[in-house]
Amino acid sequence: MSLRVLNPNAEVLNKSAALHMNINAAKGLQDVLKTNLGPKGTIKMLVGGAGDIKLTKDGNTLLKEMQIQNPTAIMIARTAVAQDDISGDGTTSTVLFIGELMKQSERYIDEGMHPRVLVDGFEIAKRATLQFIEKFKTPVVMGNEPDKEILKMVARTTLRTKLYEALADQLTDIVVNSVLCIRKPEESIDLFMVEIMHMRHKFDVDTRLVEGLVLDHGSRHPDMKRWAENCYILTSNVSLEYEKSEVNSGFFYSNAEQREAMVLAERRQVDERVRKIIELKNKVCSGNDNNFVVINQKGIDPPSLDLLARAGIIALRRAKRRNMERLVLACGGEAVNSVDDLTPDCLGWAGLVYEHVLGEEKYTFIENVKNPHSCTILIKGPNDHTIAQIKDAVRDGLRAVKNTIEDEAVILGAGAFEVAARQHLVNEVKKTVQGRAQLGVEAFADALLVVPKTLAENSGLDTQDVIIALTGEHDRGNVVGLNHHTGEPIDPQMEGIFDNYSVKRQIINSGPVIASQLLLVDEVIRAGRNMRKPT
Amino acid sequence: MRELVTLQVGSFANFVGSHFWNFQDELNGLAEDPYADPVFKNQSLNMDVLYRSGETHQGTLTYTPRLVSVDLQGSLGSMSSRGTLYDEGSSASSNILTWGGNVSTHAAEPHKKNLFLQSLYGEEQENSLTFENGVTGGENPRTEIHDRDKVESLENGVQYWTDFSKVEYHPQSLYELSGLWVDPQKFDNYGIGRESLSGGLQGEEISERLRFFVEECDHIQGFQFIVDDSGGFSPLAVDVLESIADEYTNAPVLLYAVRGPGSSVDPRSQKQRVSRKLHDAVSFSRLSSLCKLIVPVGLPSLSRSKASTFLWINDEKPYHCSAAYAATLHSLSLPFRMEPLGPTADSSYASGAVTVNEVVEILSGQTRQNMVAILDAAMPAPSLIGNQVEQTLLRHLQPLTPEIAKDIEDLQSVESISVHGALGPARGQRASVSEVKDMVHAAYEHATTRPMFCHLSVAQCPLPIPLPFPSIFGNRVGQHGELLSTPIIDSPSRGSLDVHSIPMAARLRSSSAVLPFLENRLGSLRSFGIARGAPGAELVRSWGFAKDELEDMGEVLSKMITTLDPRSQMSSDSD
Repeated sequence: MSLRVLNPNAEVLNKSAALHMNINAAKGLQDVLKTNLGPKGTIKMLVGGAGDIKLTKDGNTLLKEMQIQNPTAIMIARTAVAQDDISGDGTTSTVLFIGELMKQSERYIDEGMHPRVLVDGFEIAKRATLQFIEKFKTPVVMGNEPDKEILKMVARTTLRTKLYEALADQLTDIVVNSVLCIRKPEESIDLFMVEIMHMRHKFDVDTRLVEGLVLDHGSRHPDMKRWAENCYILTSNVSLEYEKSEVNSGFFYSNAEQREAMVLAERRQVDERVRKIIELKNKVCSGNDNNFVVINQKGIDPPSLDLLARAGIIALRRAKRRNMERLVLACGGEAVNSVDDLTPDCLGWAGLVYEHVLGEEKYTFIENVKNPHSCTILIKGPNDHTIAQIKDAVRDGLRAVKNTIEDEAVILGAGAFEVAARQHLVNEVKKTVQGRAQLGVEAFADALLVVPKTLAENSGLDTQDVIIALTGEHDRGNVVGLNHHTGEPIDPQMEGIFDNYSVKRQIINSGPVIASQLLLVDEVIRAGRNMRKPT
Repeated sequence: MRELVTLQVGSFANFVGSHFWNFQDELNGLAEDPYADPVFKNQSLNMDVLYRSGETHQGTLTYTPRLVSVDLQGSLGSMSSRGTLYDEGSSASSNILTWGGNVSTHAAEPHKKNLFLQSLYGEEQENSLTFENGVTGGENPRTEIHDRDKVESLENGVQYWTDFSKVEYHPQSLYELSGLWVDPQKFDNYGIGRESLSGGLQGEEISERLRFFVEECDHIQGFQFIVDDSGGFSPLAVDVLESIADEYTNAPVLLYAVRGPGSSVDPRSQKQRVSRKLHDAVSFSRLSSLCKLIVPVGLPSLSRSKASTFLWINDEKPYHCSAAYAATLHSLSLPFRMEPLGPTADSSYASGAVTVNEVVEILSGQTRQNMVAILDAAMPAPSLIGNQVEQTLLRHLQPLTPEIAKDIEDLQSVESISVHGALGPARGQRASVSEVKDMVHAAYEHATTRPMFCHLSVAQCPLPIPLPFPSIFGNRVGQHGELLSTPIIDSPSRGSLDVHSIPMAARLRSSSAVLPFLENRLGSLRSFGIARGAPGAELVRSWGFAKDELEDMGEVLSKMITTLDPRSQMSSDSD
């Protein structure tokens, strides 16, 4: 081998060994994630070396928790995680689809077919499927008032694959309402404007939507009110702590008096800023019993807090940067960067501000806001892994709703799309293809079935029966999906099972690309280390 | 009180940090222990600077480090990332509430706790029992045997930094990076770190945790940032530094760039060598651009350096090397927690309080704007005995910063020294603060090269040696860290059982001695990265740096060099 001449330590896997290494890695990853899929999937409890518990049914989370070392598996995992980054869901499906493409190809390659021919077939099939998805999708008109029912169905479909039904249904409303709350016409939806806050407290069913904001800190002064109604909200990014100025600090004063004088002068500047805030408060609150709340992104030191407390102002320091934006969206007003030009117009409004203390954790609720464009999903749960799992599910739900609004379309779920696409490829597309590339199209078509097959398998049904029943119905012209309780075909439209158009599209797009690349590898070279050694 | 928030990023940084917090924990413990040496009683050190008080859901009070630590997933060994303090008991947490279907459990093989940790966690249960009986733990002959076993098990079996940690951390403190899918061995250059962290939410999560600790501070004095800059953690640290600079504009960052001994082994292949050199250059210039003062720490071979004359260190073990660095960092952090008493009044226990900002101003804000400081240490510091005392202290202070020039004469150098626990002329007596001050001033009087300015902080409280401290003292170090004239012959090294405390001296120095360090970095940046046909040009591009970015970095480095040495020609021959 020529490479040996160049580097005697190099290891080379030849054609078939390289291919099988890739195929096995893809199949291995598929096996791990397979049981995750669908509403009857298995939840994984991961117990770490130190006894840490993580619960997940999310392919994305699971992939990140696994310390994958195999280079092929890493490639697939990266694609799948990218899928999640782009569209918010479909990690498991991507891994399954890539694995299945490799598995189907293996059959043909073992019979002596060249991978290049298969890959050509994949390319044709992919293009045909992408065309088919355009025809197959169910358009949804969004307009100014989106159809809440359809959004709920999409959200429910996603959430039910992550949480038990009652909780999923409860969260469905929360998720849909929160996205509708932050949605602005003619603008793309910024999901960061939905704050997700968690409290380790009570039960999972206490999770709720707060129209307004929940901050994870409270005021730091004992005399400030813990409960206030009718509040003006000042959102600011002004330093209210005394800082040493950059020059002249430290060592250049000669006696204690000089030092004191300097400290006083610097202190005065801060006090001046505080006084301006108090002036504004007195202006808007005189003659009524409204309250005044300052939420500051920078620090507020104890003397300033003292002054503010004496003026009856509630002040919070070091607010999250994102909350500055959220506050303005939720309460109105504007975020100010200087106290020099404070006017009553800068102020927002909230009907109720109160503090909730749990051990050392403090939460500040800002509720009853007038016209919220930002809101908070407050997740409660008795322990951390429950909270983490609900959080993952909520994120997926939010993405699903957002995708639907932006796609203005949905795809029939429960495996209906995959079966329909497969029938389309086998019955229509295959005939138009010349030569052996037909087999590539066929392999692609069969690989699509991995979704209904896995759904059936996870529900304890016989996969062959299910596939035959489904393809039969499709050949008769009925678009049906799988009822995972009975194994009978159902109409997903009637049941309200919808998937995201963009998620499916992305899977069809990226799966074959990675599979093709892996199939076309004919040599694996690694200089130095032994790769056959199990890691 | 001015709070300090600590960050530890990277595995060696966490080794150093683990020792650092062990010292603090030991100090806390000794202050409350009625049998302890009275010098620990009145430390006049305010531990609240580093620690926060909290409360669990059950109402138990806690006292935990104000710390955010970042490491790779799986680097915590047998410690849970949530710590044990805020645990609600595992019995309630094992049932699954959110899913009605099947459950499959994937349990990793539990990490076995070593003897030290076993006894630590066992002790807690025992303690709660004895408290009920109204008996506090006294000396028990049985524990002596145990201690030996514990020390031995640590000597032979430290794998993770948690193995020797006796500190309880807050659940927000320990952050593991998950989903990187890299071999920790190969997580060794700027490019890999940058690539695997891109697009992730890790940066945001770390800032959130940092905010948790900063929000509580009434008046933060700054950040103490320890980063292991030998590998892929540098870009992460850069991200964190950027967000600190953004969010907490006026809080200065004191950055220790620490390195384990393994990271400087010369790699065999040319390609790796280029990658290593470029990493060093890029990482240094990125990190230094975002902090107020950077202190490179970590010698290629600590055991053979002059700094370990009285130590017996095994270079292979991060457990050993990190202990020496941590002790020095501890000394430097003492002035930050002394109560300022004004320039005239002096406590008899400590003097020379400064804030991080003041240290930064002293070292980098004078005539020369040099922000790279050299770290020197004397471990243990010599006693004030004999007539040539003056010279011994300065001679004992040996650098822990790599690649610096020796015996350089720099009239404009500036120093900040911290001496604590120094032993006095009378045998077994600690020197008083004023004695130490006089001695140090005398030392500088006699020295041939004198710095332009020197700040001195003195504390009477020595460095306590906690049980899990490695046996790195040589056989000439006595029980209180005094230097014996005749070595103890029974063993080559002495550990926490034989040595209970040591005096320490540490010094930060802003001097032109650091020039070789900077020149090496600039040199490798130019020859491997920027020059026409440079062997690493392709590599740095794959790390995401365009050529003009590299040139900017080179520019900044050469500016650093010219501030120290105006005669330097490095800047003019750039093309």
